[in-house]
Amino acid sequence: MNQQRIALEGIGLQLGYSQEGMRKPLLEDLNFQLVAGELTCLLGPNGVGKSTLIKAILGEITPWEGRLLLEQAPLSSYSIQDRAKHIAVVLTDPIFPGNLTVGQLVALGRTPHTNWLGQLGETDRVLVEKALSDTHIGYLRDARLGELSDGQRQKAMIARALAQDGSVIVLDEPTAHLDLVNRLEIMSLLREISRSQGKAILVVTHDLDIALETADRFWILNCGIPLLSGKPEDLVLSGQIQALFPSDRYQFNVARGRVEWSQAMPDFQIEGPAEQAYWVKKALVKAGITSLDQTLVITEPFGLRNGEESFRSIKDFIVTQKLQK
Amino acid sequence: MSFRRFLFPLSFLLLGMSFLLNLSMGSVWIPPAEMVEGMVTGTWAKNSWEQILLHYRLPKALVAILAGIGLSVSGLQMQTFFRNPLAGPYVLGISSGAGLGVALLMLAGAAFGVTLTGLNSWAIAGAGILGAGSLLALVTLVAWSVKDSMTLLIVGLMVGSAVSAVVAVLSFFSGAEALKLYTVWSMGSLGALTWSQVSILGLLILVGTLPIVGSIKSYNALLMGETYARSMGIHTISLRWWMIGSAGILAGGITAFCGPIAFLGIAVPHLARMLWKSADHRVLFPGSAVLGASLLLLCDAFSHFPGWASSLPINAVTSLIGAPLVISLILKKNFSKDF
Repeated sequence: MNQQRIALEGIGLQLGYSQEGMRKPLLEDLNFQLVAGELTCLLGPNGVGKSTLIKAILGEITPWEGRLLLEQAPLSSYSIQDRAKHIAVVLTDPIFPGNLTVGQLVALGRTPHTNWLGQLGETDRVLVEKALSDTHIGYLRDARLGELSDGQRQKAMIARALAQDGSVIVLDEPTAHLDLVNRLEIMSLLREISRSQGKAILVVTHDLDIALETADRFWILNCGIPLLSGKPEDLVLSGQIQALFPSDRYQFNVARGRVEWSQAMPDFQIEGPAEQAYWVKKALVKAGITSLDQTLVITEPFGLRNGEESFRSIKDFIVTQKLQK
Repeated sequence: MSFRRFLFPLSFLLLGMSFLLNLSMGSVWIPPAEMVEGMVTGTWAKNSWEQILLHYRLPKALVAILAGIGLSVSGLQMQTFFRNPLAGPYVLGISSGAGLGVALLMLAGAAFGVTLTGLNSWAIAGAGILGAGSLLALVTLVAWSVKDSMTLLIVGLMVGSAVSAVVAVLSFFSGAEALKLYTVWSMGSLGALTWSQVSILGLLILVGTLPIVGSIKSYNALLMGETYARSMGIHTISLRWWMIGSAGILAGGITAFCGPIAFLGIAVPHLARMLWKSADHRVLFPGSAVLGASLLLLCDAFSHFPGWASSLPINAVTSLIGAPLVISLILKKNFSKDF
């Protein structure tokens, strides 16, 4: 691998907003590097300043202190149009005119590159086609935005950002309105694009599970700590991922790669395959059962045996347990 | 759908036919065939026809075309800029300013020794332009400190209402004759303009339309909202100044010369969107212009129906014809989805 290329870099940034003439800093001493060819996920609780950071990267607000470098040059030295040639964005809320076709939407991505009428040249047309095929929505070219599902529309928005042909793509919670399968699909699509086209992609997301599956790098932002950056797996193993959950009520389960409600697990005696025992235990805890009189045996095909009694499902077992109490 | 390919030729055909119909209609019916013959060969079946056409109907038809283009194009611009289907050329309150100028001249002028009989069309247009200009300056001042376009829209509507209230107070205290004169003005008229006034109006429409045509790409990007537009390299702040300038010139100028013409500016862009089924301003701007011109020509022709002793006020006719037309279209199609 050749050396990593840094597309966007923040050095000692201070960001915030003014209210009635008072400066209210939200993020201080922020340092980060967005690397080309990588999918970076920005995680953090609501209100911590993720959107403020995104606004700064888009040039909507100016940092009070520190430097923000785009391709080694200060972001503020770019004109709006030049900046648009480098950074494209996909926002959470689907703002769309129903009459626009997907093809026209993606062509809008060429706006910073076209003449005053927005006419597409040969290169523009090729890039629009490529964006459509890279996001696998070529078949939707003539569909109108009003007729699409949320997932398809978000893919079209990504295609539009791709057609803008910058080195950086910023997505602010692109999967917020989507179902599980679409969320997975969008994120793996973004990963694919970052790889194959060497783009630096920054995604703000709350989907820790999916981010863990797809991201090359995590940025973790939380109140009172500096921005944590690193490989997701490194952050997991070093325990730094716990920074996402400031209270002790939630724990990151390293074995299962997910957040769990941390509570004392009662010491149930359950006999059977580990995977099945795990889910049985979970159901019992959820039902408020704290102890078992004897060892519970998992039978094949799935069933439960408690001493003499047999149960066909966890539900049946729990119902009888509750009746006995 | 293949019929959309013929929409532009068809709409130009409609424009031509509306133009001829408009010229023919009036208290004297001039058959279109003889009119064309007269214009081409210079020999007229009746001498009076040439006089009627040259001094009255031709300038009136041209004003209808100019005002139709200006109002529709300006309405489309405002709807996209504010991302609001109810926006129109008058939302910034600039035409109310023109109304105030005229009201001051007609209603309060008596107090300063202006006689109503001494009012000519130049004085009225001048007062309208002055009024529109001062409102434009006020809106510009407000826009300076306002960040988002929704606030600007609300401020514009409020200023418009405040100005209308001033006019209402003026009306309350003015005499019956002045009041009648103002009421007639407020119903709009396309016909009271001399050739030199028509050319000034033409110049204003040209100047007001140019910034819109120059910003077609920006308006397409603006379909996605201001944040996306900026991320695509559109300078939304400077676009706002162009918008205010062009709306001021178009709405202010048309109101000053023709009085307020309701409805057209809001309705025509929607008609264009439905007919062309497009959101592309490269299609919608010329489409709205042609449709707006044709519609105003037709409305004016209808208001001068032959056999009627006097003509109907154009402002009433545009709403009477336009409203049912648009309502029927909206009920047939899913209106909000198209926007």
